[in-house]
Amino acid sequence: METIQRNQVKRLGRMTQTFLSKPANLILVVFLVLLTFLTLYPLLVLIFETFTVHSGREARAVGLPRGSYTDYHFKRLLFTLDDGGAMGVTYSNSWIQFYGPLLNTLSVAFTSSAVAILFGGTVAWFITRSNLKYKKFISGVFVFPYIMPAWTLALFWQSFFKNEFIGTGTSNGILASVFGIYMPEWFVYGYFPISIVLGLHYAPFAYILIGGILRNMDANLEEAATVLKTSRMRLLRRITLPIIKPAALSTFLLVFASSISAYSVPVFLGSPVRYYMLSTKMKSLMDTYSGQAYIIAAVMIMFGIVILGINQKVTGSRKSYTTVTGKSSQVSLVDLRKWNRPVAIFLVILMLLIAVLPLITFAAESVIIKAGNYSLSNMTLDFWIGTNLTYLDQGDSTGILLSGKVWKALFYSLALAVTCAVVAGTSGMLVGYAVAKKRGTKMANAVNSLAFFPYLMPSLAFGAIYLAMSVRVSWLNGFVLLALIGSVKYLPFASRSGLNAMLQLSGEIEEAGQIVGIPWWKRMTRIIFPIQKSSLLSGYLLPLVSCMRELSLFVLLVPTSNTLLTTMLMQYSEKGWAQFGSAINLLIIIVVLLINYLVNKLTGASIDKGIGG
Amino acid sequence: MPDIILTNVTKRFGKFVAVDKLNLNIRSNEFITLLGPSGCGKTTTLRMIAGLETPTEGRIMIDEDVVFDADEGINVPPNKRDVGFLFQNYALWPHMTVKQNIAFGLENLKWPKKDIEERVDELTLMLKIREFLDRYPSELSGGQQQRVAIARTLAPKPRVLFMDEPLSNLDAKLRTDMRSELKRLHKTTDSTFVYVTHDQLEAMTLSTRICIMELGKLMQYAPPLEMYQSPANLFVADFMGNPSMNFIEGKAEKTDKGVRLSSGGLSFAFTPNSALEAVPEQAVIGIRPEHVLISDEGGCPAKVYSSLPSGLETTIRLSLGEMMLTSVVFGGLDFELDSDVSFNFVPNQAILFDKGSGNALARGSLELV
Repeated sequence: METIQRNQVKRLGRMTQTFLSKPANLILVVFLVLLTFLTLYPLLVLIFETFTVHSGREARAVGLPRGSYTDYHFKRLLFTLDDGGAMGVTYSNSWIQFYGPLLNTLSVAFTSSAVAILFGGTVAWFITRSNLKYKKFISGVFVFPYIMPAWTLALFWQSFFKNEFIGTGTSNGILASVFGIYMPEWFVYGYFPISIVLGLHYAPFAYILIGGILRNMDANLEEAATVLKTSRMRLLRRITLPIIKPAALSTFLLVFASSISAYSVPVFLGSPVRYYMLSTKMKSLMDTYSGQAYIIAAVMIMFGIVILGINQKVTGSRKSYTTVTGKSSQVSLVDLRKWNRPVAIFLVILMLLIAVLPLITFAAESVIIKAGNYSLSNMTLDFWIGTNLTYLDQGDSTGILLSGKVWKALFYSLALAVTCAVVAGTSGMLVGYAVAKKRGTKMANAVNSLAFFPYLMPSLAFGAIYLAMSVRVSWLNGFVLLALIGSVKYLPFASRSGLNAMLQLSGEIEEAGQIVGIPWWKRMTRIIFPIQKSSLLSGYLLPLVSCMRELSLFVLLVPTSNTLLTTMLMQYSEKGWAQFGSAINLLIIIVVLLINYLVNKLTGASIDKGIGG
Repeated sequence: MPDIILTNVTKRFGKFVAVDKLNLNIRSNEFITLLGPSGCGKTTTLRMIAGLETPTEGRIMIDEDVVFDADEGINVPPNKRDVGFLFQNYALWPHMTVKQNIAFGLENLKWPKKDIEERVDELTLMLKIREFLDRYPSELSGGQQQRVAIARTLAPKPRVLFMDEPLSNLDAKLRTDMRSELKRLHKTTDSTFVYVTHDQLEAMTLSTRICIMELGKLMQYAPPLEMYQSPANLFVADFMGNPSMNFIEGKAEKTDKGVRLSSGGLSFAFTPNSALEAVPEQAVIGIRPEHVLISDEGGCPAKVYSSLPSGLETTIRLSLGEMMLTSVVFGGLDFELDSDVSFNFVPNQAILFDKGSGNALARGSLELV
């Protein structure tokens, strides 16, 4: 009896040892534990918070002490449909705080996804399948809106179209003051501009995902149909569109999920006219009724999970579609003939409008003294390099380039972005490696989903939960807290590009090293990394760029609003210090574009490699 | 030199059984081919012996060392099994030159620099790739890449060499050339080769023994010529040989001399060489095309359905009413379509199979009654 037991123990020990001796297994186990703590535990905290009494105001409303259990938040937020009312107007808390914003969120998400796909997909088609002119310029500038912070376009839209008759309207934008054109409110604020701006911001997703398929699509597929005398339109409808359908659907879901949790765009373009989405509603409730805010966060996460589920189902079953033979490299380009020049010029102008004009606008805004007056006599470089600016009445007395505060924030932002990129990039590469090696096993699927999970967490809610967690863990504060949440939040990008890079690499390449006894770390550093260098580095670049321009994730967690450039910008625009705000905004955009350009030139890594694979 | 012994080796992927209770004994210095259609488990078997895949059950021994045992929880990693592996897609490291590709493994084994130089020299000379030493894999043709892959695999002098369809990416002429080189390589390196292919001709021409598999099960394990002449079952009979064996399928009856088989309105008499124990109700008689002889007169009449001359031989499809038979005639002959010919079966070359189990029952002579 005893020997049998001892043998079993010995066997178990040997099996565990063999199991853990494989690096892929070890990585999976480590990340399973780590990610459970960093993503699932916060989720539990969030759910717990939806049943807890928080602040004084909540405690008064519920009539229970802080920290006790309550279902008040759910009742109040979801089931208070009729509060009575006054003067014949019924007042519904649930409608105002939840169902209305929910409806707004869904309609914005639908529209922006459609805009992204139509715009991004069309441009992708022109770039990959036609003989369009100025391709290089268009494709180069097209990803700008994604690299730039999301609020860039929103702020630009606002400062370009706003006028004194709408919204909080105190001053005229460029269009109104220079050309005397006054746009209606629906055009400047609310559903329409939010959908368009988000759609334009995420159009590069569509461009990269759909363009990737179109570029690699075996030309034989189309040629086979052409030989059968199919018309161009029919070809597009019956062959090309069905082939890109999975990618288009993926894009749709990705943009949909991203739009749901978008925060800065609806803040700038929605709040002035009280047009709320779930994200902005959550932020405003967070200070007063945080229990209800946490419920909204949970609902947003739920949407994310459902969307991820659909996405996996769709791409999972249609995977064979996207496999490309790589045999035929001859792509027959459609001759646009007389349409070539008009289309090209139209696209170039559009690119200038959405990618270059914002920069010019911010530059202009940062040098004018009195808002709305764009004459040269009203311009100054004081906001950049001035000293002793007491006449400005904008808090600071030096231009941003001479302000120690700004430089400190810039270095803090950079240090944070680099740390997050290193941690997320390396983790993502390891996760990608292990998941690719153990593809199909339960553990690999679990780790892969866990690593993607932070993507579904709305940044603001994620920040709020980590804030709650940091109260319980003493060492979790300051830089460590910011770096940790940034690394977790951007892990999905890194693990995606890591997985893509590893899947492109045939397993035999590593096995060939394994069989001659090359140890694991050497296989990673001498074989795998050098071969997939640019793809893997893209996994570092995405977190770096995203972190540099992140606002909503950090806004609740920074020690002071001067800590990061982005939070400083937020503070300045809240205080109405438009010139300093625009200058800092421009500074952030330039730094981000510069980093992207440098990394791209030095290593070949690029944003589109990271997303598209 | 090692013996490789597989005992009840099973590999399951979820519910799918890739390899089912495989028992195999590979003697040292053999050239063994694992043969079968795609998805039969041959590559999985090879990878399990090499240690790249972990079996679900069973035990594997190399040279009296247990390298895997599911019950004991033993699993020796591939680099400790002293084996070489030649991959289907070569798996050359694209960022290293030919020389670096060959030397990288040896550097890692801490060989002295001088020995590495000598070994690279020796191999590049043997495989005729000396002039490409400083080139990158992408600058080489498929055949040259193949040679580099072989050199890299042979460099640490493995006891056993595993090859996974190494010739499938080469064009037909190059493949024939490489076949004879592999056979010479087997002789000169004096090691055990285990080779995976789905090409029966490759298996026939290269191996000392063939292990033919279907759906994860071993169908027959025998030297090539024996397998060709005496297939153990219908699957092996059909898989080996091109053009493939003729099969006549029908109701069988026991007679005084042997078996009478009715098929397609015709009646065949099969006379076994040895006594038959029992005759199945439904039987199949197989006879190879080269054993269906075309003669001008004095045989059974048939019509020429098609004639495909290749110069070396001509493959003829004969129609006998509803039935079709394939015949191979050597030499540069051609036949007019729909012309009348007559044919004979070569004595002692037909094989009787049980249709139900698929197993071969007896060898004998076949006649059309």
